[in-house]
Amino acid sequence: MSITVRSLTKTFGTFTALDGVSLEVEKGELMALLGPSGSGKTTLLRLIAGLEFADAGTILFDGTDTTHLSARERRVGFVFQHYALFRHMTVADNVAFGLSVLPRGRRPDKAAIAARVKELLELVQLGHLAGRYPAQLSGGQRQRVALARALAIEPAVLLLDEPFGALDAQVRKELRRWLRDLHDEIHMTSVFVTHDQEEAMEVADRVVVMNHGRIEQVGTPVEIHDAPASPFVYEFLGHANKLDCRIDGREVAAGGWSAPLARVAPAAADTPAPAGASAAAVAYVRAHELELLPESRAPEAAALAVVRHLTARGGQVRVELSRRPDGAVLEAEVSRAEADALRLTPGTPVAIRPRALRLFAA
Amino acid sequence: MKRHVLPGFSLTMGLTLLYLVLIVLLPLSALILKAASLEAADYWRIVSSQRAVATYRVTLTAAAWATLFNAVFGLTLAWVLVRYSFPGKRLLDAVVDLPFALPTAVAGVALTALFAQTGWYGRLLAPLGISVAYTPVGIAVAMAFTSAPFVVRTIQPVLEDLRPEVEEAAQSLGASDLQVFARVIFPLIFPAFLAGCALAFARSLGEFGAIVFIAGNLPFRTEITALLAYIRLDEFDYPAAAAVASVMLGAAFVMLLVTNSIQFWVQRHSERA
Repeated sequence: MSITVRSLTKTFGTFTALDGVSLEVEKGELMALLGPSGSGKTTLLRLIAGLEFADAGTILFDGTDTTHLSARERRVGFVFQHYALFRHMTVADNVAFGLSVLPRGRRPDKAAIAARVKELLELVQLGHLAGRYPAQLSGGQRQRVALARALAIEPAVLLLDEPFGALDAQVRKELRRWLRDLHDEIHMTSVFVTHDQEEAMEVADRVVVMNHGRIEQVGTPVEIHDAPASPFVYEFLGHANKLDCRIDGREVAAGGWSAPLARVAPAAADTPAPAGASAAAVAYVRAHELELLPESRAPEAAALAVVRHLTARGGQVRVELSRRPDGAVLEAEVSRAEADALRLTPGTPVAIRPRALRLFAA
Repeated sequence: MKRHVLPGFSLTMGLTLLYLVLIVLLPLSALILKAASLEAADYWRIVSSQRAVATYRVTLTAAAWATLFNAVFGLTLAWVLVRYSFPGKRLLDAVVDLPFALPTAVAGVALTALFAQTGWYGRLLAPLGISVAYTPVGIAVAMAFTSAPFVVRTIQPVLEDLRPEVEEAAQSLGASDLQVFARVIFPLIFPAFLAGCALAFARSLGEFGAIVFIAGNLPFRTEITALLAYIRLDEFDYPAAAAVASVMLGAAFVMLLVTNSIQFWVQRHSERA
């Protein structure tokens, strides 16, 4: 089932949690709402679930207006960060809950419920724990029970609020791969909230980046990674350097370095500032797009820096640099081979040069 | 010897034990010893006399009604105090403790004045043929008044502690408000609810000050067990007083045992998930 959200607004007292958000979640899609805390992502999810009601705007499920329906009428499966299992019920009773509260006429008989519960527990690979109580399970197992419980009512959409937020790193990684596989298997329209960009990129078909109650960017993980749409997205995704620069005609310059716009920022070159005008701008250069050169072979138009710290990450080396003379901290990422060739150690002077950058008005 | 990080273990533990022995164990043992000074046949005669049995019946019945009332009223009041915000909430919250703070004799006098034929409530009830003062109903009313805070105060913190997500989860799974309460909230507060009811019941069984004023104290009709023990004491018949009192003590222990067992059974899996 598709979800359409049209100019949703929600305030809590004087705080604007959502500010006219519109969004389209396609049928069978797994979408991530990504943003820092207070960005409105959880509020948006809770509005879609009917656990909260909007001040203005509409929510449609498959074109049908559900804005004023309560959570129990919307048929959504909701998974909470802290599981919210019924701790006085066994795992099987937890999963059966949604079926056992159906009105008498629509409620399956006991045997049918038991069969469905068994099937769902098999799906989440917890068939052997049906008789346990939540307190006897690990965090990852509890979250899978919560998922099975949400799926029991055959929901129209599945909504997950920071589903892995309370788990430790190892389990988290396992569980999100598992969620991706499960989604590929059941193809239910799903939306999950996360503040972890790696998680969003790895699991979702499409990612919505949110900030201050507004949507900054919607796109596939690749689109968002390759072309962040705003300074906020650059900074939130991390591994990007912010440079204060000046644009002079067809040249861009920052901290001793300069280059023709057409080479480093072709998109901006198409709409150059009026010739002769000089404008301040903000440039973002991602870590892997910052080129390191030996200081001895520094080209004229390069900035100088000193290596402060090196971190090995698989085949890559993360280099923390201190730009000279102002001491601004920059981040670069080079291959091991490059790092070896440059003989990088803390204290090594290098020349730096962006290969590509993205310009925003200052 | 194990080292403790917190200092003062031996001092505090010693004080606690001393207190328990002096204030709790010693008087209880004295009571049992006093009762034990009776021949078995005499003891049995005293505790099973018609008048004594009548007091058990009066006390238990009135305490049961008072507890039933407080179970419903206390749960409602705790719910209102936790779930809603309204002007005067803090005041209401403070007033709940009034029966604890008020000397029970004062409560007894006030209730008697209210429910006497000429009192504010008594005057309204008299035409309906209901008399409260000097009847078993009066006893139940006095018990209900003095034990009211127990249920409220035991449920309140547990209710405050319930995560809203648990209810939201139940709602999103399609449960009606009634189903959410009956199948999710009530089972979770049940141990506290039971503990509160047990405390209220125990307090009602032992209540004396508030009741003697409103009960009329007619042997076989409105005489409670605590009063019978007091009367025996007044007659300098210490062993008989102790015998009657030992029955109340026994009842209190049975209550403790039963409620603790039920709680243990209910909570066997309920460590916070």
